[in-house]
Amino acid sequence: MEPLIKMVGITKVFPGVKALNNISLDIMPGEVHILLGENGAGKSTLMKILSGVYQPTLGKIIIGGKEYKSLTTKDSYDEGVAIIYQELSVINELSILENLFVGKLPTVKKCGISVVDYKTMEEKAAAMLQKVGVHRPLKTFVEDLTMPEKQQVEIAKALVSDAKIIIMDEPTTSLTTAETDNLFALIRKLKSENKGIVYISHKMDEIKKIGDRVTVLKDGTYVGTRRVDEVTVDELVTMMVGREIKGTYFGNPDVDLTKQPILFEAKNITRSDGRCRNISFQLHKGEILGFAGLVGAGRTETMEAIFGAHPKIKGQVFLNGRELHITSPYSAIKQGLGMVTENRRETGIIDNFNVKQNISMVPYLKQSSAGGIGGFLDGRQEVRWAEEQKANLHIKCTGINQMVVDLSGGNQQKVILGKWLAANTEVIIFDEPTKGIDIGSKSEIYQLMRKLANEGKGVLMISSELTELLSVCDRIAVFREGEIRMIFNSAEASEEKIVKTSTGEY
Amino acid sequence: MSETGIKKNSQNFGILWQRYGTFGILFLLLVVLAIAQPGAIFNSSAVPQMLKQSAVNILLACGEFFAILIAGIDLSVGAVCGLSGMVAAELMVSAHMPWVPACIIGVLCGTFFGFLNGLLVNRTGLHPFIITLGTQSIFFGVMLVVSHSANIYGFPASFSSMINASLFDFFPISAIIALLVAVVLWFFTTKTKAGRNTYALGGNKEAAWYSGINVPLHTLIVFIISGTCAGIAGIVLMGRLNCADPVAGTGYDTYAIAAAIIGGTSFMGGKGKIPGVVIGGFIIGIINYGMTALMIDSSYQKIMMGALIIISVAIDHFVSVSTNEK
Repeated sequence: MEPLIKMVGITKVFPGVKALNNISLDIMPGEVHILLGENGAGKSTLMKILSGVYQPTLGKIIIGGKEYKSLTTKDSYDEGVAIIYQELSVINELSILENLFVGKLPTVKKCGISVVDYKTMEEKAAAMLQKVGVHRPLKTFVEDLTMPEKQQVEIAKALVSDAKIIIMDEPTTSLTTAETDNLFALIRKLKSENKGIVYISHKMDEIKKIGDRVTVLKDGTYVGTRRVDEVTVDELVTMMVGREIKGTYFGNPDVDLTKQPILFEAKNITRSDGRCRNISFQLHKGEILGFAGLVGAGRTETMEAIFGAHPKIKGQVFLNGRELHITSPYSAIKQGLGMVTENRRETGIIDNFNVKQNISMVPYLKQSSAGGIGGFLDGRQEVRWAEEQKANLHIKCTGINQMVVDLSGGNQQKVILGKWLAANTEVIIFDEPTKGIDIGSKSEIYQLMRKLANEGKGVLMISSELTELLSVCDRIAVFREGEIRMIFNSAEASEEKIVKTSTGEY
Repeated sequence: MSETGIKKNSQNFGILWQRYGTFGILFLLLVVLAIAQPGAIFNSSAVPQMLKQSAVNILLACGEFFAILIAGIDLSVGAVCGLSGMVAAELMVSAHMPWVPACIIGVLCGTFFGFLNGLLVNRTGLHPFIITLGTQSIFFGVMLVVSHSANIYGFPASFSSMINASLFDFFPISAIIALLVAVVLWFFTTKTKAGRNTYALGGNKEAAWYSGINVPLHTLIVFIISGTCAGIAGIVLMGRLNCADPVAGTGYDTYAIAAAIIGGTSFMGGKGKIPGVVIGGFIIGIINYGMTALMIDSSYQKIMMGALIIISVAIDHFVSVSTNEK
């Protein structure tokens, strides 16, 4: 069988950086081809070359028997390449129907004037929506759809344009397990229609479930292509990071940490909006306490309340036996709390700041007076804070003056961690700390959390990845509908028990 | 090949523009003026005149800068400028108050109006555009009430001679006041935590809040600064005109925004520097001066100012698009 696409010897040089070096990739019809690599490995750049956003410096692309030195976005579209970005590109203000045909509305002549041919649109759209599994009226505005539905609309849009190759960039990042299963069913359907799928992912279990072949990139170079059924997860990880990721459990099961003194305690935390009720837990010295539960079960809401970001709460919070009075994130920082929020882009990094300015923000505030407005900047101190954290966390950047938006996701996350560590924060809440970051950085962050706990700092961790919770935490509290239903020790916890508790079957 | 060449060129232009664009405009204006009317430039009173014309614009632009820095805007600076001047004038002329306390009260009025703006923005959660669009009209109306829609003049001689004096017969006091304010604000933006926090707020409000920055407090401070600058500008403007004119402040909002933008402040928030804004204000003053020197009707000044806003924002936009593409 002829491949749908063959990329040969693709090299892309940006001023000063070789982003891709001699990469080759081919996509067969009816294949799910996984593209695997750490952040910054060159996956996105390669896909942008395929979709015509970037032009390669060297190499060629063969699509449908035609050979191109480079593609424009129009070439790419005409050859049937569609890309589904992680941040979906559907337009919220338009209806499903309009989204499907945006930019290419079919027209029909009426009285000599071209008008939009809604009849054809509707017929075609209905068929496509049926196929991808969206059961909504065509006129529904996209902003009223759920996240997975939006994704399905985006896939339908690709099908409407008669795409032969569909690129999906980490499509399951914000999906639940059930939604992921739906997506996989759809992908299998597309496979059976001989579409080629390029699937970018970090998640090992997904690769095994859905992939046919996998190509691994590392630092812009080609590592290899394997059949998924002939390769083990460990081999893939080694290919990807070029080193073994050691140990799965990061805790110390021999010590009973619950006998240690209590470092941090929350008593009867209740939000006035009812999103969490009567939350109580204790964190012992040296311990990592995890929080499991479905999205919307009240984990983030509880932590935001404790951190003062949504200050209308009842209840008490204690650090080292002393009661804290938290009315805002500022007062939380002053009293030794910190929070690494879930959405890095929205609530984590300051886009117009460099690494140094991002890191120094929190320690500055911690030292400041008068609600955070008092005091002067100290250039040398700032450099010291940033250099220390850069070395401590192995932040990969050209220097502490590099803009934080130019860093990879994992390194941005480290910068955010750095700002809390530089302020010598006593208790850090981690909300989905490894969301969207590569496996190498993940393992570094787990080790860092363990190190903090061993040093006597408090570590609270919300995560929706059970394997992660089980390997990192000493105890796991399970939320359901705004309350903690159960707290498991790591020894007695299992994926099954946690899932059952969080869904209410236990 | 040629396409990447063009891309590269536009990138280089982008970097040049971001660094020296404001200077470029200033230089271009001076050259045009020097060619069109050499007498207007090569003459000992040219620089003092330009500085005098620029003082009010620089003051207003410095305040406006902060409002734009937090991705907001302050449309009321012109009205605040007029009203503050009017209050000081009434105190001097009708209440026979000595000019020093009268002027201080005038400036404090500006501070208070800024405070009101900030309070309204915080309490309602509405965009500053809406709030200041409303207060612009309110302040303007209050001014008409206070002044009975008439000019107020007849200030104490000590006031008029002070505000129109020049240091070494060269630096107008009004320009010195403007530059002093600019230096204080420059210090605020580059050396204080509150200044740094304000940039963070402009970059990403949510992230700033989660990092412990008191967003409402800083928003309030920003509008207080903007109001205070407008108050000072009101006193300076009244001194220059030697009367308090109820419509004196009209149009200055546009100039203030133009100066801040030409001076390199990003409308998206979080980017910009005080020295750039000062030059921006100076550019507005020179356009003003040049038009007068060339005996062009002041109505054309408005046309030119509008065009300049659009051109400089457009260039800025294309530049940031091309540099982001890498």
